[in-house]
Amino acid sequence: MKDKHIIDVLDNTSIASLSESELSEIYAHAQECALCREAYEAARLSAMVLQSRARTTIEPSPFFQTRVMAAWREQQAAENVPALLRLWRSSRALVSSMAVTTAALAALTFMLPAQAPLTDQTVSALSADSVIMGQSSDDQVTYDQVLSTIYQDDDDAR
Amino acid sequence: MDLARQAQEGDESAFAEIVRRYSPRVFSVASRFFRQRSLVEEAAQEVFLKAFTQLGSFEGRGSIEGWLTRIAHNTCLNMIRGAKRRPESTVSDLTDDEEQWLEHHSGADGKQQPSVENSVVATDLADRLLSVLSPEDQQALLMIDGEDASIKEVAEATGWSESKVKVRAFRARKKVREAMEKLLNRR
Repeated sequence: MKDKHIIDVLDNTSIASLSESELSEIYAHAQECALCREAYEAARLSAMVLQSRARTTIEPSPFFQTRVMAAWREQQAAENVPALLRLWRSSRALVSSMAVTTAALAALTFMLPAQAPLTDQTVSALSADSVIMGQSSDDQVTYDQVLSTIYQDDDDAR
Repeated sequence: MDLARQAQEGDESAFAEIVRRYSPRVFSVASRFFRQRSLVEEAAQEVFLKAFTQLGSFEGRGSIEGWLTRIAHNTCLNMIRGAKRRPESTVSDLTDDEEQWLEHHSGADGKQQPSVENSVVATDLADRLLSVLSPEDQQALLMIDGEDASIKEVAEATGWSESKVKVRAFRARKKVREAMEKLLNRR
């Protein structure tokens, strides 16, 4: 190993798991190879700080169990609510808005004054001619009036 | 197994006993991910509530502790993924204490351990180095190089295959070593 670079060995295995003989071989090579010496030093320091980090653990506080049990009870209570009630809770906004809309539509339908339906006569009176001529609907004549005028003219002609 | 079954049937005292007995283990896992107590407690609480809802899936093939460890690992990973990733640190971010720590320990005997007084500085340095890794690679490296866990133990705790653990550890170790080399060269 003395003539062989040791960087791959350092990356493959944690320094802590290397045997004494492996370490001494690595150290011997590192003495002669600047590149590997630098890598070994970095690996050694990295292992030191990682071990220090791993030792940093937080212990549970005395209130932790109480806190978890309170959250657990809350969760249990939420699960014990009847299904219909849960359905209502989740959909009540939608149902309420639908009810308001329906009520508003009903009010518009029944409470506003009804408009007179259009008859055939008035429809015909809104002819293209009248629109073009700008006549108001009050000036229009009905079919009956037109027909009676035509027939009256025929009778006069005879 | 009895405790798990009793808790599943709604026995409050059984669930309380599970929390009491396994809190240290769950906190230990969460501490690998977070250093703030509030985050560790939040994660641990979520682990136990999740464990309760998943008690049906625990068939008693392994230990409750192992099962909780895996839930804790996945829960913390999800919390980390959900949080905003912090920007990677640079050498210029080194504090005076960290500079001194590196100065003091460079070229020293390989067996030298950091003193208790300097452990906070060393831990800060570790977090700085770990920030270049993905959360998954951080865990693999911390467990193997930090806690001396075997590949098999890491595989069991995380649910990853052994080859995946090896790849993660190799990649992480290389990145961390390179990051440390940069720190040493720029001093």
